[in-house]
Amino acid sequence: MSTETAGGERESRRSGPLVRVTRWMENLSDTTYAYLLLLPVFVLLGSIAIYPLLRTFEMSLFAQTFTGLGEFVGPGNYVDLFTGNMDRYLPGQPTFLPQSFGIQGLVTSALTMTLLFAFVSVFFETIIGMGQALILDQDFYGRRWIRAAIIIPWAVPVVIQGMMFYLMFQPSIGFLTPPLADLGLLAPTNTLNDPASATFVIIVADIWKTSAFMALLILAGLQSIDRGLYDVAKVAGASKWQQFKHITFPLILPTIAVAVLFRSVAAMRVYGIIDIVSSCTVVPSLSCMVVESFFSGFNAAAGTIAFTTAAIIGLVVMSLILWQGEEAI
Amino acid sequence: MATIDDTDEPDGPLNRWVQRAIEDPERVYRALFYTAMIFFMVTTLFPFYWLLVLAVTPNSEIIGGGFIPEIELFGATVPFPLPVPQGFNPGAFVDVFREIPFHLYMLNSFALAVTTTIIVLVVASLAGYVFGRLEFPGRAVLMLAILAISYFPPAAFVVPLYDIFAGNAVNIPFTDVALFQSIELLNTPGSMVLPFSALFMPLSIFILTTFYGQIPDGLEDAARVEGTTRLGALFRVIMPLSAPGVATAAVLTFISVYNEYFFSSIMATSPQAGNWSPLVGGILSYQTQYTTSFNLMAAASVVGVLPMLILVVVAQERIVSGLTSGALKE
Repeated sequence: MSTETAGGERESRRSGPLVRVTRWMENLSDTTYAYLLLLPVFVLLGSIAIYPLLRTFEMSLFAQTFTGLGEFVGPGNYVDLFTGNMDRYLPGQPTFLPQSFGIQGLVTSALTMTLLFAFVSVFFETIIGMGQALILDQDFYGRRWIRAAIIIPWAVPVVIQGMMFYLMFQPSIGFLTPPLADLGLLAPTNTLNDPASATFVIIVADIWKTSAFMALLILAGLQSIDRGLYDVAKVAGASKWQQFKHITFPLILPTIAVAVLFRSVAAMRVYGIIDIVSSCTVVPSLSCMVVESFFSGFNAAAGTIAFTTAAIIGLVVMSLILWQGEEAI
Repeated sequence: MATIDDTDEPDGPLNRWVQRAIEDPERVYRALFYTAMIFFMVTTLFPFYWLLVLAVTPNSEIIGGGFIPEIELFGATVPFPLPVPQGFNPGAFVDVFREIPFHLYMLNSFALAVTTTIIVLVVASLAGYVFGRLEFPGRAVLMLAILAISYFPPAAFVVPLYDIFAGNAVNIPFTDVALFQSIELLNTPGSMVLPFSALFMPLSIFILTTFYGQIPDGLEDAARVEGTTRLGALFRVIMPLSAPGVATAAVLTFISVYNEYFFSSIMATSPQAGNWSPLVGGILSYQTQYTTSFNLMAAASVVGVLPMLILVVVAQERIVSGLTSGALKE
């Protein structure tokens, strides 16, 4: 205040463009002001997310030929995609829908490989994350360091995570390949170019990296449980297993359900780890197919797969949000 | 239990342990607890150990394998449970910077991460203030829309974005009407910072909404009575008071950008440090150009992951609170 009186002029009497903007902003209604402050978010998300999404959809409505975009065909590409006519624009051997329901058929189909990857890795991540969370929930000396060690994989860059597992399973150096090949889990030679083996390695890599994330979510659920319940159970003579079965598990089940569904949606975006450990032509995730067909010059095919992926994920997220309702916020 | 009678004690350490465990089930849980803890420690830390083993092993020894030595144990020959280095050659950590300018790739990653973090903090602060402190029509719908967008796969955006960043015209969707000609952004920071900001902003918005919403109205009112502008109150009062929340959003954004793969590998078309290729480009160069220098790949990975290890140890609390509050909101 003293500085203003020293200037001999009150703030509201000053003029100039900055002051005018400030005064204009002061007099806005709450709603107008809210939308004004959200403007940068709208611009950023509008140009980087919504505009490209619309353009992707537009691209998917034009015929795909080997020379470029053809005439407008409406939903024709989506029909082609689900009848297998689009497969010739996919790089390498992969198809969109599985040709057979054996392991080989499932992992060489873009759709089922992605779903299989999401399902299997999230399943194990939940179980391992639950184990890690139960440990971190205890009070013991050095807990801080153990927690740091468990979180670390989550903070490892995807490219380095990929190098780790590439170097562990590369058949000419990896010491893990021969024993696992003996068990019949991996192909003994050319391991990372075999679709089933490469999918196995990629799932293991994803479980290693993302279990910690599940652990933290489940831990938050565990710590919100009223400790008094355990005291009551102890007095009643319940064993640790009974306490887990009747108190802990039912109370964290909703947290786990939401975490699992959102993690599955995120897992369906898998791309980087495949690109490093194996190659997109060997392990055909949906994101992989978009990138590969785009760089082969098949924009309509890329757009069709991209929009199909977005639609699948969008439907899951929308139904989740409707199911969770206001609680989601 | 200390009350066990010495004369009843069975023979052998295992039998003794079992006997005590039956009398005191607590011991079994404790044993299970430590076994599980050691198991998780070994599985999470083993890949780092493997990188170190490969990095210090001279490359000529790597192809031969034989990382699992046989050892003599009670007269029998058994394989040692951990791989050990074959020789010792720390020079790989120097060569990593000599073969390609690996430090420049890391600097690029830092520059991209810092720029993105600043943009995200400013934009998400405005949004967090709006969602956390103002009541207005459309609030819930907008938050849901931002949440939904954050779950769309980057692959759904990449093709048109690449076209724009390559300098093609920006058309109104579903028409041939060109809005404007874009400037070429591929191989510049812009082509990565823009997608990163859009991709990682939603999480920061949700974190900051929670923190800003918790500041009592009285403090903001007091600042306004003192003569602060509306924006001034946000940046001079609410943001400093929510310092832990801002730090959380900053740490998570920084880590996410440093770790990002999809746009980092696509938008930097030539993996050259001079073309703003980040860490991803540096490590992939070793995989594609030095295909048999496995010790260099491992050493580069060790160097590249060090900043994240330090950050996790230093900022552990922030990461945990950010991931749980942000993700449970979502």
